[in-house]
Amino acid sequence: MPAVEVVEVEKHYQAGATTVRALAGVSLTVEKGEFMAIAGPSGSGKTTLLNLIGALDTPSAGALRIDGVDLAGMSRKQLADLRRDKVGFVFQAYNLIPVLTAAENAEYVLELKHMPRAARRTRIGQLFAELGIGELLDAWPGKMSGGQQQRVAVARAIASMPAVVLADEPTANLDQVTGKALIDMMHRLNHEHGVTFIFSTHDPMVLAQAERVVRLVDGKIASDERRGETVAGAVAAPVA
Amino acid sequence: MIGTLTIAWRNLWRTRRRTVISMSAIGLGLALVVIYGGLVSRLMGDAKEQLDTTGLGHFEVTAAGWRQHRSGKLTIADLDAKLQDLPVPASAEVSVRVLSRGLLAGARGNEAVEVHGVDWQRERAVALYLREIRQGAVPADDDAHGILVGEQLAERLKLQVGHKLRLTVQRADGEMGAALFRVRGVFHTLSPGIGQRRVLISRAAAAELLGVGGSAHQIVVQIDRAADASRWAGEARAKLGPTVEVLTYADIYPIFEAMESLVNGAILVGSIFVYFLVGLGILNTMLMSVLERTREFGVMQALGTRPGGVLRMVLAESFWIATLSVALGLGIGLSFTWLGSRSALLDFSEQMGEGIEFGGTVMRAAFLTEFSVRAALLPALYVYLMALLVALYPAWRVSRMRPVDALRAG
Repeated sequence: MPAVEVVEVEKHYQAGATTVRALAGVSLTVEKGEFMAIAGPSGSGKTTLLNLIGALDTPSAGALRIDGVDLAGMSRKQLADLRRDKVGFVFQAYNLIPVLTAAENAEYVLELKHMPRAARRTRIGQLFAELGIGELLDAWPGKMSGGQQQRVAVARAIASMPAVVLADEPTANLDQVTGKALIDMMHRLNHEHGVTFIFSTHDPMVLAQAERVVRLVDGKIASDERRGETVAGAVAAPVA
Repeated sequence: MIGTLTIAWRNLWRTRRRTVISMSAIGLGLALVVIYGGLVSRLMGDAKEQLDTTGLGHFEVTAAGWRQHRSGKLTIADLDAKLQDLPVPASAEVSVRVLSRGLLAGARGNEAVEVHGVDWQRERAVALYLREIRQGAVPADDDAHGILVGEQLAERLKLQVGHKLRLTVQRADGEMGAALFRVRGVFHTLSPGIGQRRVLISRAAAAELLGVGGSAHQIVVQIDRAADASRWAGEARAKLGPTVEVLTYADIYPIFEAMESLVNGAILVGSIFVYFLVGLGILNTMLMSVLERTREFGVMQALGTRPGGVLRMVLAESFWIATLSVALGLGIGLSFTWLGSRSALLDFSEQMGEGIEFGGTVMRAAFLTEFSVRAALLPALYVYLMALLVALYPAWRVSRMRPVDALRAG
């Protein structure tokens, strides 16, 4: 079962009297364990596509399936549960919750899934250790560097072992070295644990690491280039 | 522990200054309601429960028409039988009076007075001023010539204990009657009017002077709770028949209840105004808070928080603001009402004298407050209700936002 299936998806916006077609009949299948980049110029529809895959927005037409679950007709509550269970997010601006420590940020999704506190603490402790951010467990977002925040954001995104992790320009706010370290970490999680990543980027360095690059132009897929093999097994193994 | 209440609590302190200002404003509003309520409650309570300040009692029995004509002839027929039949609670105090207007002449002048012929022991129970003798003493039961005068009257006529006085009245048969009395004591009262006009002699002496035999003009009843006056008066009316008139203090002085309604109305309007301001304060705080953190709520929704979870998050913040405000408001309000129950918060004695006459009774011009935790809990509950009510709008608004729109905010 693919991690993501996008079938003839369209997204239209109304800008005054004009209808803007942000996505025009996009079809895409992302298998489990892929490390895929969505590239394209500004306004090409990258963020719109990620928002639709992440069930943050609804398509004007077409169908979306996440881990085999069809999003059509789902209520707001059901979509929230689907995001909780099957999607992880890494935002360009990190978006850690400022009143929660790094560990609590990562724990938050597990608490939404009603995981017992002790099990949550253990899971997050192990995860942070594996990602090399163990020293950040009790750190507050406001006291962390951008790179540290984004690594915590990745930890939060994968804490509940979602079917797919969506990262919108994850390195855009980071310097070259920190950005590369972050992508290396994501790549390692993909290789070692089969975590499915879909990320949008402009950054050539990031694109160079992607195993599959889908290019969008004017809301349509202009190219779909595969550079390597998808991780064997294609089923995410628990991290840490 | 990262439950909704914890996150809400931490969020509250992200804008410490705003939280403190909101909390202080709401808390002070609540404190004002509590203090004002305590003040008025004590005021009205005193006024109602202490009608013995003027000797008015909670209800009276007179011959039919006496209130209107004040004629000495209109005595209560079969007084002893009426007293026997009078339905009153066991704890009630009952006094019988012979009443008249008269002229009091002393060595330094004369004054028009109202004469109360009373049984001293019974009258002590319903007239507070008989417990406030400043010179001399209450005459003995068999003292047919003893008279008590008020401080103001004593001052005007330059009276001292032992001075002789001549009291002239119109008798029940229409003739003039007069007798000599000797001042046995001077009483103090909060009411300057009573202090200036009223004189008390024994009921036997008054009956003889007025020629009313063993009868009397008025039976005064003081019960435990002023609120029960109507019920007991109604029973007395039914039992004693049409030859007598039974009137409560509220019947005699309707302004008393009108004032009470007015005061209660003022409290209600004042409280509504305060709660309105409380609501505005909380609404403003929550709207600002939600507006500033819309993106954050979008992130929470992206992570899987349901719309109801977002709603609860905002309501939880409002709950904390209300809790802190209530703690502050009750702290200040109860402290002041406690202090005010021991020494007057407001004292108009210098401007208005010791007492203020009001609707048939007299209140002290030094206003005390009633300390009641129970009474303060109701306004506190209203603050909670208001907090949750007004927070519903911003909470509902942000919880209804699509995650993608919330994430674009800010």
